Amino acid sequence: MNLNRLRPSRATSRALMGLAGVAILWEASARVFDLPAYVLPSVSSILAAIVDQRTSLGNAAAMTLMEAIGGFCLGSAGGMLLAVILTMLPATRRVLLPTATALNSVPVVAYAPLILLWFGIGPESKVIMVALAVGFTVFLHALAGLDRVDQRAVDLMRSFGADRAAILWRLRVPAAIPLTAAGMRVSTVRSMIVAIVTEMLGATGGLGWTIYQAVLQIDFVQVWSAIFVASAASLIFFGTINFLEKRYVFWK
Amino acid sequence: MSNAAAMFRSAALTALRGAAAILIAAALWEGVVVLGNIKPYYLPRLSDIVMSIIAVPDAYITGFFRTMSETLLGFAMGVVVGVANGVLFKHSRTLRELIFPLFVISQTIPVIAFGAVVVLWFGNTILAKALIAFYLTFFPVTVNTLNGMDAVDQRQVDLLRSFGATRWQLLFRLQLPAALPQIFVALRLACTLSLLGAIAGEWFGDTTGLGVLLLQAMYNEQVIALWAAILMSGLLGTSFYGLVALAERRVVFWRSEL
Amino acid sequence: MNKRRTLAVLAASATLGLAALVPFAAQAADPVKATLRLKWLPQTQFAGFYYALEKGYYKDEGIDLTINPGGPNLLTENLVATGADTFGLSGGTDSVMAAIDKGMPIVSVGVSHQVTPFVFVTRKDGPVKSLKDFEGKKVTAWFTGANYVLFGMLANNGVDRSKVDIQPQQVSVTPFVNGDVDVATATWYNELYTIKQRMGADNLRTFVAEDYGVTFPRDTLIVSRKTAQDQPELITKFLRASIRGWRDAMAHPKEAVDAVMKVAPTLDRAHQEFMLTEAYRLMTAGQAKAEGLFWIDSKAIQATEEFLLKNKVLTKPVDVATAFDGRFLQTIPVEERRP
Repeated sequence: MNLNRLRPSRATSRALMGLAGVAILWEASARVFDLPAYVLPSVSSILAAIVDQRTSLGNAAAMTLMEAIGGFCLGSAGGMLLAVILTMLPATRRVLLPTATALNSVPVVAYAPLILLWFGIGPESKVIMVALAVGFTVFLHALAGLDRVDQRAVDLMRSFGADRAAILWRLRVPAAIPLTAAGMRVSTVRSMIVAIVTEMLGATGGLGWTIYQAVLQIDFVQVWSAIFVASAASLIFFGTINFLEKRYVFWK
Repeated sequence: MSNAAAMFRSAALTALRGAAAILIAAALWEGVVVLGNIKPYYLPRLSDIVMSIIAVPDAYITGFFRTMSETLLGFAMGVVVGVANGVLFKHSRTLRELIFPLFVISQTIPVIAFGAVVVLWFGNTILAKALIAFYLTFFPVTVNTLNGMDAVDQRQVDLLRSFGATRWQLLFRLQLPAALPQIFVALRLACTLSLLGAIAGEWFGDTTGLGVLLLQAMYNEQVIALWAAILMSGLLGTSFYGLVALAERRVVFWRSEL
Repeated sequence: MNKRRTLAVLAASATLGLAALVPFAAQAADPVKATLRLKWLPQTQFAGFYYALEKGYYKDEGIDLTINPGGPNLLTENLVATGADTFGLSGGTDSVMAAIDKGMPIVSVGVSHQVTPFVFVTRKDGPVKSLKDFEGKKVTAWFTGANYVLFGMLANNGVDRSKVDIQPQQVSVTPFVNGDVDVATATWYNELYTIKQRMGADNLRTFVAEDYGVTFPRDTLIVSRKTAQDQPELITKFLRASIRGWRDAMAHPKEAVDAVMKVAPTLDRAHQEFMLTEAYRLMTAGQAKAEGLFWIDSKAIQATEEFLLKNKVLTKPVDVATAFDGRFLQTIPVEERRP
């Protein structure tokens, strides 16, 4: 067994160093300036609160993660499908691309009140919001990826008698994968944020709801604890997708 | 036909096509609501929405321009810093490994929690909203600049180097231009994000802006005003996006040749 | 000799010049800059302040006031405590005491709504006929203060809170209108209007807190302890101008609504007119009729403090006398304070 594998890579250790640096700076300022909790609580008190409230924070995190992952999958699938449709049927492009652009030019949070009205304050509304937000990003990236293929290569395949579907599958899709994957990577974090922001406008649970309640109860340590947990959850999500993408692309 | 006339003609045709599309969509909206007998609480008639905007034009116009300035400022800052970061990270592996993870983490903090702090520090100024817009914009631009530069063909780099090109020449003549297509993908995404940041920023006790109108409509349960604010935001977003897309077409016209 | 004369002339003119400036210096005392942070988005619940601003009452008192709206993501206590705003109109006696309990250096100088602004609404023909019927039903409330009113009402009347399905209430009253929720919370001046409009006033049954032995005064005017210590005259001047604004607003309700509509043109006028009347009713209830607007009813607040302490909202007792300082109000003669 290669023991070297167990040592953290240089990149990871550097990242941890950067993180530690920020944490130390934060703790120092909070202590030196004796900042009250409602301005900026110390890192130590936040970490203590996280351990203390781990069950409720854990439940909230689970709920938000489920909403985010659900919306992420829905949105990614939808975005990729739409991009494929636009490439296979160029006629639809003229109509669908401006429509999608117009729909998405409204910032996604502006739709939140509407979606909450239509679907209530349960998790479904958050899943739909996330799907909306993720869908367009992935769509944009996938479309750019499918488009960037070299026209000469397309002509070459055509001259060999390949039909549209074959060109799509063998040429465009492989070329589109890196960009689509990039789009999905960027969207992971957005999905958590959209879920949280929507929860703050109306929810029965989740991290956004926790933050909202905590602000009103003037419990800023709780606010920051929820933010830390949200951060951590987003990173785990991001890391997982990153990891999956590396494996899949490598295999491809 | 001269070049200018041809350009004008094609621009006019695109505008006409766009206008026609909008008219058709508007007619469809009105038709669906009236024929489908949809309750105005869920989807009001487009005519009602437009009438409500015309009734109080000042609020919407001032709001539009206020939000627009916040968005543009934040976008500009985000693009400059994002590209600069991308270049920086390309050249320094150490910095990339130290700081990039911090960027990633910073992006996981929900905008709303951050917004409260920003407004506390900077008040209800255009700068405060622009900062939130900047916060959302710089990261995708950084990522895509980096990716775009990474994707440059190493052989071309070697070729230029063999001709004695300096780092700066390499950057401005090869790497950045080659990264432009990918940067523009991020720009198209970023323009929506900066608008989002501006609007969310206005939710913290501001007096003018499309975000303010949105919030007021939501909490006063005025569905028509809500849709009016959504439409105006859409208008702002579409125009901005269109400008960026136009710029992309101009700048990246040679993309297929590479 | 010439030099001395020149010097003398110069000295004389300098003195004359300075003397001429003195009256200017005395007059040009700069108005004090201050801000008022409201507890919510602009609406006629705050009409008196907007009216006073428009009519220049604050300027008359030497205050250059800016009114900053509140909103769902802002906590007025926080903004006043950190000095971002001079004055704040905050949630209520409950939120003020909770903030003080958490160590925020604020103090309340006036209470706007003398009685509970919340009311619980249900369908007249529905299953809930009395407070006891709340058991087993779905009740929505805002967990920003209205929930305590509900808890108090239930506790005072022997209704088991754990048997009631209390859920957080969302922004819209639609779930209640649609029948998904049995009992909803409303404010007399805001949501009740919407509910009445959509369901018809005759179809509603209301549960009023005061009928069940609970009073939660709300809309508290707060300042930081520093302001109270360093600028007491500013507070008195602000109170005087605000009371004047509210009295005149009620004498000219149309103009008062206009003043607010100017700030938020997309509001529904009929709703705002209703809100103004109702808000003023809350402001002039109880002891305010005799003692004036923004009166601090120490007995009612003491009862609230004990209730919050019992329900563990406060971790330790709060001294109502120091938390709610009526001195600034009392410097204004009572005839000027009466509605």
